[in-house]
Amino acid sequence: MTSQPLFILLCSPEHEKIQMAAMMASVGAVSDRAVHVFVSMNAMFAFDKQAADARYKGGAFSALLKEKGAPDAITLFEQGKMLGDLKMYICSMALDVAGWSEDRLVDGLFDDTMGLTKFLSDAEAGQFVTL
Amino acid sequence: MSKRTKIDARGAFCPGPLMELIAALKLIEVGDEVEIWSSDKGSAKDVPEWVAKVGHEMVGVEAMDGYDSIVVRKAK
Repeated sequence: MTSQPLFILLCSPEHEKIQMAAMMASVGAVSDRAVHVFVSMNAMFAFDKQAADARYKGGAFSALLKEKGAPDAITLFEQGKMLGDLKMYICSMALDVAGWSEDRLVDGLFDDTMGLTKFLSDAEAGQFVTL
Repeated sequence: MSKRTKIDARGAFCPGPLMELIAALKLIEVGDEVEIWSSDKGSAKDVPEWVAKVGHEMVGVEAMDGYDSIVVRKAK
């Protein structure tokens, strides 16, 4: 039986939610499941390639993730793309409002820009998670 | 005779050991094995679940002193 594709809508800038999105996306993608991630709103700022050490902001668990050396969320997304069927999209509206171009984002991570309407339409074929 | 690749992923947090296992499986021949050591307490259940889902073969899981030794055979 083929698994339903997984659609993740990531809006939160919280480290903990970005980490969970990255874990779900990478593990799903390497488990013979197509995964699509749509990044919008404040989450986009975590993918600013200029952010470097200031990339992840969160609460108590974020501090633990950093202290213990948990896998980096961006690296997990990259592994999901390399080892499985993971596609990542940046919200065209978020880019427009922030005045950013795709060049501002972490290199090689995003497959394309996309509008919410298209993502929602595609997501009708699978399971939908919002973080 | 099958070859066995050993990976020491002790100290790595979920899903690090699984991702290391998958990367290693990509590099070996069908019939060969990967033995991964993981101190992540979820690996002993997560890895067999993943192996069953994607169609590889579990050779075994053995509890060691503070970690699990998990052996997977590449089946496809």
